Amino acid sequence: MENMATRTQTAQRPNGSAQGKICQFKLVLLGESAVGKSSLVLRFVKGQFHEYQESTIGAAFLTQTVCLDDTTVKFEIWDTAGQERYHSLAPMYYRGAQAAIVVYDITNQDTFGRAKTWVKELQRQASPNIVIALAGNKQDLANKRMVEFEEAQNYADENTLLFMETSAKTAMNVNDIFLAIAKKLPRNEQASGASASGQGRRLAEGDTGARAAGSCCK
Amino acid sequence: MYNKEETLRKLLKQDEYNFGAITFFAKLHKGDTCGSNGLPLTPNSIIIYGQAQSLKTFTSPYLCQYLDIIRGKHERTVVVSQYCGKPLSESIGKSQFQVNDIKRIAFQIITALDILHKKDIVHRNLSTENILLQHDGNIKLFNYGLYHMTCNGKLVSFPILQLIYTAPEVYLAGPNATKSSCRSDIWSLGMILVELVLDQPLWANLKLGQRIRKVLSMIHSNTSVFERIAREHNCFEVYENLDGGLKEFIENCLTVMTKDRPHSKDLVNKNIFNEFSAANQQPRSKVIKEFKTFTIADFYHWWQLAGGDVLQELKKQGLIRSSPPILSMPSLVLLDGSILGQERNPMTLYDPRVALMPLEALYDRLKDVTVTEFYPLFHCNSKIIKNSETNKYDIDLPLIIREKNTEYQFQRIIIFRRLLHSYPYGIDFLISAAEIDIPPWLRGEIWAAILRIKGDYENEYLLIDKETPTNTDRQIEVDIPRCHQYNEFLSSAEGHRKLKRILKAWVHKNSQYVYWQGLDSLTAPFLFLNFNNEALAFACLSSFVPKYLHKFFLKDNSTVIQEYLAKFSQLIAFHDPVLANHLYEINFIPELFAIPWFLTMFSHVFPLHKILHLWDKLLLGDSSFPLHIGLSVLTQLRARLLSSGFNECILLFSDLPEVDIEKCVKLSLETYKNTPKSITTRLHQNEEYYPITKDFNISDISTRELNKERCARISTTDVVKLINDLKDNIVIVDIRNPTQYNGCASEKSINIPFSSVKFGEVGIESLGLHGNMLCNNTEKNVVVVGSEDTDLTLFPKFLLECNVHRVCVLHGGFDSLLAAKPSISFVYHDRNNVH
Repeated sequence: MENMATRTQTAQRPNGSAQGKICQFKLVLLGESAVGKSSLVLRFVKGQFHEYQESTIGAAFLTQTVCLDDTTVKFEIWDTAGQERYHSLAPMYYRGAQAAIVVYDITNQDTFGRAKTWVKELQRQASPNIVIALAGNKQDLANKRMVEFEEAQNYADENTLLFMETSAKTAMNVNDIFLAIAKKLPRNEQASGASASGQGRRLAEGDTGARAAGSCCK
Repeated sequence: MYNKEETLRKLLKQDEYNFGAITFFAKLHKGDTCGSNGLPLTPNSIIIYGQAQSLKTFTSPYLCQYLDIIRGKHERTVVVSQYCGKPLSESIGKSQFQVNDIKRIAFQIITALDILHKKDIVHRNLSTENILLQHDGNIKLFNYGLYHMTCNGKLVSFPILQLIYTAPEVYLAGPNATKSSCRSDIWSLGMILVELVLDQPLWANLKLGQRIRKVLSMIHSNTSVFERIAREHNCFEVYENLDGGLKEFIENCLTVMTKDRPHSKDLVNKNIFNEFSAANQQPRSKVIKEFKTFTIADFYHWWQLAGGDVLQELKKQGLIRSSPPILSMPSLVLLDGSILGQERNPMTLYDPRVALMPLEALYDRLKDVTVTEFYPLFHCNSKIIKNSETNKYDIDLPLIIREKNTEYQFQRIIIFRRLLHSYPYGIDFLISAAEIDIPPWLRGEIWAAILRIKGDYENEYLLIDKETPTNTDRQIEVDIPRCHQYNEFLSSAEGHRKLKRILKAWVHKNSQYVYWQGLDSLTAPFLFLNFNNEALAFACLSSFVPKYLHKFFLKDNSTVIQEYLAKFSQLIAFHDPVLANHLYEINFIPELFAIPWFLTMFSHVFPLHKILHLWDKLLLGDSSFPLHIGLSVLTQLRARLLSSGFNECILLFSDLPEVDIEKCVKLSLETYKNTPKSITTRLHQNEEYYPITKDFNISDISTRELNKERCARISTTDVVKLINDLKDNIVIVDIRNPTQYNGCASEKSINIPFSSVKFGEVGIESLGLHGNMLCNNTEKNVVVVGSEDTDLTLFPKFLLECNVHRVCVLHGGFDSLLAAKPSISFVYHDRNNVH
């Protein structure tokens, strides 16, 4: 937690150097209910963990800034509801996203299956350059593991996904997975402009949302 | 003249209204602090808290009523219960009882035990110490729920038993046994009766171990246990000469083999009790529940409001003592965390003392209460009498203060007790009383009445399948441990079980709907208020959903939600064009933040204490009220929203800042009252509750169209009402061309021909004099009236962009206004005359 706070501060401090770039990315979290999406975000953004993290209805929005080499990367994070019923809202959030973290719970095989479905949907529907990371959360409960590390790793490799097992509770790999995504995202002006091609699309149906689609390099 | 002192003494200062508290520690969890699901283990004191709640519902003249369970620091649990009379033990050895008295006591104890046993509760703790003898010679059992609330003793580190009264099989089963049989209580009753008959405490001079050995030795008794005890106490004569019926009864109770020992239900009907059981049956109405002006539970509530603090009192009386931490230091702590050489804290043992609570402070607070306040007047045709009833309390004081005022709550509870008793008759009186405020103490019942719960809801609930596994179970199971867990009720094991049953019952009963996340939060307030009445909680939920959330839980609810949110946007535009325009510009649409608000009626976004105050008013309003609550939340955050961009705004709502609920409620009521009803009328509202007027059939407008219309539509009925209203708060802007306008127009209308407006530039100045008037308007409803060949979206949008308040569009245009002709006047400018 301490570590987290320090890092955040450095990130938010104006860089000062002329060549410091600021990049802004839209990232969406997807996955079955109660796998720990909100907890991962809360750990990443505030360095906190709530045992009784409330369920997310609709979606929640948070931002966090990290420093990577000479670039300041600002994540605009959409944390979505996990229940299947809220599925119809999901495209509103992943449309135009440059990155996605698909989360499952390593103690529950069904959530892994659901994660695969999300990956497929993203590959089909989201912007083609989207960076997808797979997070096997609740690593602190490894003694109750139902999804083998290798199984998930193989799946991730086949689909060229970033993959880590994480624990929002112990903070293991939480910052790492976001940083790994940041590294993989195109950070030069041209590339990021291209990746933000999704921004022309609407966040919601109707005349809305272009703003949230994330414009890079202000 | 009545004697005021005397009357109040009779009404308030009764023995029956005394109460006391006991305290003990729940067992601490050792080592592991997390369960298999990764969540922390629920502290045992919280499990006890949940488990004990149902005890509060037991009312019987032979049981001391449970009043409260309080959790202190370090797993301390305090149990507050009625406590009146003297322990029976104090009367033993004083030749106080005749055979008939003993029979009566036996009957009353067995009746009380029968009540408990019927609810599958084993006393396990029965002794002459916790049977209280009243002035009138009747008895009340005290502290009978300890074994039950501690999950059969599992949640505490001390044994729950009463040495010589405890049945031998309890000792034989050992400390880790499963739940004892109800029959062990029967043995205890037998031993108590033996003491009463022999008129001396048994084995008074023996040490602890010897006493247990005595009880165990009974197992080998070949003769009557009673006889043996009598002989051991040199009282064989007493035994021999005892009334046959009573002797047989006691010997029945002291049957060694548990399986042969009779049940309470058999014993309660014994012939020897005939005279008592007949006297016990008072004629009672089958229809109307017995009425009490107030209960001891109400009394306890007032006592707390008057400053009564159980924990403080326990400290004062020495039942809670803190010891310096240094004394609890262990001698050795191993690396694996195990602790050695720590002295056992004597506080973790059971302390049988009872602290009586002093009532003087409450008596003092209520000394000015008049007798008439006990018997309030609800309806009377005489104005003179009505006006003489001046209210001595200021209802304009903040709600928080009123809720904490003893005398005020005294008055409110007396009033509502009566109104609830007469319900459903006199519901209108109840509603108008609830409009002032709702006393928190009776909120559960009052809400149920406002939601019109009646009939045999208990049986209906009983009949619903709550057990069969379904495919929503997983979702419900992962949601419950995250639902308002800061609350002791909802985080207790019992709370989890109840919530799960209610949700499963709801899903089963409402096959047209499905379980959406959020239903858990929606149920939480009802369960919290009716923790001991699950069926009522369910009935409330079942009545709440059709009224406020009609069709929200359909498998595909998107059109319903979209319409709702579109109406919300329009309502914002109607009352606060500046804010609406800002949010519109930054694309901060309600879809992004307001779904959890409305889907759960704010129960997912606010903590329980706020929801309760919010819903107090919501329940008195219709299904449009939540839109006004939403508006008032935005209004409260208005300054921050106006100065923020998209990200800041959405961040603000992801972590909703402190919202002042009283302000929020006030604001919502204000806009609710001054908004024409049709502005918020929805196609998907429940027609059973809120029929849509004929002239306002909005079914032909698709959601897509609705989303385009930034200003709301208004019905002819509402416009006619506004025109005829004396307040003169309407401006009709007729946007038809001058020829049409001069041909015929509403009397109070102004003409701004659609064709004359330059929509390209936003500037109200282009409208000339009319523009100024509209610009300065904040009070009047600006109704745009057009005809088929005018565009009815562009012009109102223009006005909105010019920040004109309260802009709406007449549904159906000028023609529909004309159809209302006899009730409003028209001008024919061409002919210069009025019709």
